[in-house]
Amino acid sequence: MKTYEKVVDVTETPTVVFGRRASTWMGTTAFIAIEGTTLVICIMTYLYVRKNFHRWPPPPLVVPDLIRPTISALFLALTTIPNYWLHQKVRKLDKRGTQIGLLVMSILVAIAVWLRAYDFRDLNAHWDTNAYGSAAWITVAFHSTLLALEALETWVFTALFWFGPLEGKHFSDADDNCAYWYFMAIAWLPMYALIFWVPRLV
Amino acid sequence: MTAPMPVVTQEIALSADDLKTRDELEKSWAYPRGFVGWLKNTSHLSVGKRYIITALVFFILGGLEAGLMRLQLSRPENAWIGPDLYNQIFTMHGTTMMFLFAVPVMTAVGLYLVPLMIGTRNVFAPRLNLFGYFTYLIGGAFLYVAFFVNNGPDAGWSAYTPLSGPGFSPGKRVDVWAQTITFTEIAALSAAVIIIVTVFKQRAPGMSLNRIPLFVWAMLVTAFMIVFSMPWVATGSQMLAADRLIDTHFFNAAEGGDALLWQHLFWFFGHPEVYIIFIPALGMVSAIVETFTGRPIFAYPVMVLSLITTGFMGFGLWVHHMFATPIPQLGQSFFTAASSIIAIPTGVQIFCWIATIWAGKPRFTTPLLFIIGFIITFVIGGVTGVMIASVPFDLQAHDTYFIVAHLHYVLIGGGLFPLFGAFYYWFPKFTGRMMSERLGKVNFWLFFIGVHVTFFPMHILGLEGMTRRIYTYLPETGWGPLNMVSSAGAVIIVLSVALFLFNAITSWRRGAPAGDNPWGAASLEWATESPPPPYVFLHVPVCTSEHPLWDETDKRPVVTGLRTDIRENLYTTMMDAEPDHRHDSPEPNIWPFIAALATGVMFITAIFTAWGLVIGIILLFFPCVKWGWPVRAEQEKRLSGERDPLALAGR
Repeated sequence: MKTYEKVVDVTETPTVVFGRRASTWMGTTAFIAIEGTTLVICIMTYLYVRKNFHRWPPPPLVVPDLIRPTISALFLALTTIPNYWLHQKVRKLDKRGTQIGLLVMSILVAIAVWLRAYDFRDLNAHWDTNAYGSAAWITVAFHSTLLALEALETWVFTALFWFGPLEGKHFSDADDNCAYWYFMAIAWLPMYALIFWVPRLV
Repeated sequence: MTAPMPVVTQEIALSADDLKTRDELEKSWAYPRGFVGWLKNTSHLSVGKRYIITALVFFILGGLEAGLMRLQLSRPENAWIGPDLYNQIFTMHGTTMMFLFAVPVMTAVGLYLVPLMIGTRNVFAPRLNLFGYFTYLIGGAFLYVAFFVNNGPDAGWSAYTPLSGPGFSPGKRVDVWAQTITFTEIAALSAAVIIIVTVFKQRAPGMSLNRIPLFVWAMLVTAFMIVFSMPWVATGSQMLAADRLIDTHFFNAAEGGDALLWQHLFWFFGHPEVYIIFIPALGMVSAIVETFTGRPIFAYPVMVLSLITTGFMGFGLWVHHMFATPIPQLGQSFFTAASSIIAIPTGVQIFCWIATIWAGKPRFTTPLLFIIGFIITFVIGGVTGVMIASVPFDLQAHDTYFIVAHLHYVLIGGGLFPLFGAFYYWFPKFTGRMMSERLGKVNFWLFFIGVHVTFFPMHILGLEGMTRRIYTYLPETGWGPLNMVSSAGAVIIVLSVALFLFNAITSWRRGAPAGDNPWGAASLEWATESPPPPYVFLHVPVCTSEHPLWDETDKRPVVTGLRTDIRENLYTTMMDAEPDHRHDSPEPNIWPFIAALATGVMFITAIFTAWGLVIGIILLFFPCVKWGWPVRAEQEKRLSGERDPLALAGR
């Protein structure tokens, strides 16, 4: 008859870890892969239907406006700086710094979502105008949906860190939230270039 | 005071300490009670089992649809089923078998077995697992409700545009299809993320990458394929739904859209999907062959590399489904070559299994018989696959019954035979009871004969020009006799599946008790009771070799130090599986179920109005917050044992 032999003691292992050591980080990365694939599909769709038109955008549509979308994209890119600051506070398990950082980010993501609403108007095309309009709209819309969901998540985290019952593992979750925001902000840059610049260049 | 009597399970003598641990684990990992408890239960054992049973129910429904088609086609000019219903039936059959049976059942077996095989107590994100299951269930139920009220999809399981577009398919039938796809993709993607993280982070200490069982490797490769392929059809089906509901023009050629865009989006998912079904089956084959030959699988590293190679190459073949469309010649040549080359890694694995059987001492039990059936049937399907990889041949065979024969040889040969084998093999673990070997062998022979009698004649019918998806044919075609043979074969398949169900149900109730490891297998799922208790392992095992149970002495090496008063899992490093940290496993929770309901409302409402998405997001918000928001009572327990890295460093 066999017996158990306790050969590995894990009592001293930590319960809070960050980055790729954390399972939630890996889960977030997997979701980034899924959502990144979705954004790539939108880009490919946009480029695929391009071949069906002589001119891009097809007349009488005009090219998208540039000023507000550029401000919006730059703003989104610049939010990575306070996000980086927040990320450092999270990693140091600095509760007060994390609370402040999350509050700041809550406001910034709200502004990013508000600015994004104008991007749709500045496309100068509707989803039902033609395939160009459909492809441009869906590309902006998919990223915007993710942006809005991430904004909601940031607000929930802010509420949790200010009012909720807090545990060490929530710092690890906030760490993943920061990582996801980098993805959101940086993934938009090629999409912005495609939607708002490519029609001017070709 | 006397010490408690040692309790003896099948194989392990439990000390007083072990008994105390068991009592604590029974409390902390207890299943919630009643029907509401069932809705809340996050155990991968419970979710995995209900996933498998639900998938089998859909398999039976899909099989009945196939039976109806075979009845209709058994003789020429049969007027029993009209064209409209026939269109719905073949679409339902394909959609059910691919989206509601084959992919879910493979991921379900993985969700049940992977944690057992790698030595952990529950999967990563068990609430997401529960959410995925209910999303899948709601999606499948929705499809069948629509079908029973004469709104079943009718544009084929691949829903090609422009047929599936608003111009040629008015009404809501195709929308039902598109949203069913979205439901099932969410479930599959959730399962994939869960499997990837569980395999990378929760392996038992010592289970370095080169000790992972081949079935787990297969599930890992499959999960990665799901991550990179399912978004294509999910996004495509949303575009299709948008074309139909809000007048976008993705697939409308009149406004610059492109019908072929759909085919690319669909097949960039659709071809990998074949491997998403097939690769887990390869893992099942390896597990069964190893156990029933009693020796390590021949050339393990080559087997792993073959799985990974197949996973990568599976993404480079999709255009061979589109050879009858205007593809550039260079593209045709590339995809012909790629479609032929993928036979190599699979061929390598088949040779490795044959070598293992050759060098081992095979026990020809029912599971191994199904594997032999797999090798024969799948090789025939593979050879016809290489035939239709050639463009000139494909142009002749395209859309004929030759393709129907090929795809059934591949999917039944490559998926169902191993799955039946796996069912017989792991049934003792799932239920604690053995299935009848005698009935199992009859089940195998009926199934093997039935499959070949049904599908082999279809090759000839296809070469004679019988096209697929026709509801009847004229007597002058001469296709009647072979169709009758094929339909007779279908009757044999029905008998064999009925026998299988009878065997499973009666064995579940009255089968011989199985014990922990009835087959004398080597991997860790057999290192616990059958069926496993809610905490899965009394002590998390330590993996000392590639075949831990074969190499075990009279001591079973295990982990100590995990908390038993709360649900806690051990996390290890990705490459070498060294103990890294501990993390609680979420408690049962009703909100994933509520969130799945809200998701259901969102997608079903979105068939009728685009506002459905807005309504859905509003409905989803509260359940999603509650899903993750800490419960104070649970939290206080957890906090008492928290150890953050900075605290350990002296801060």
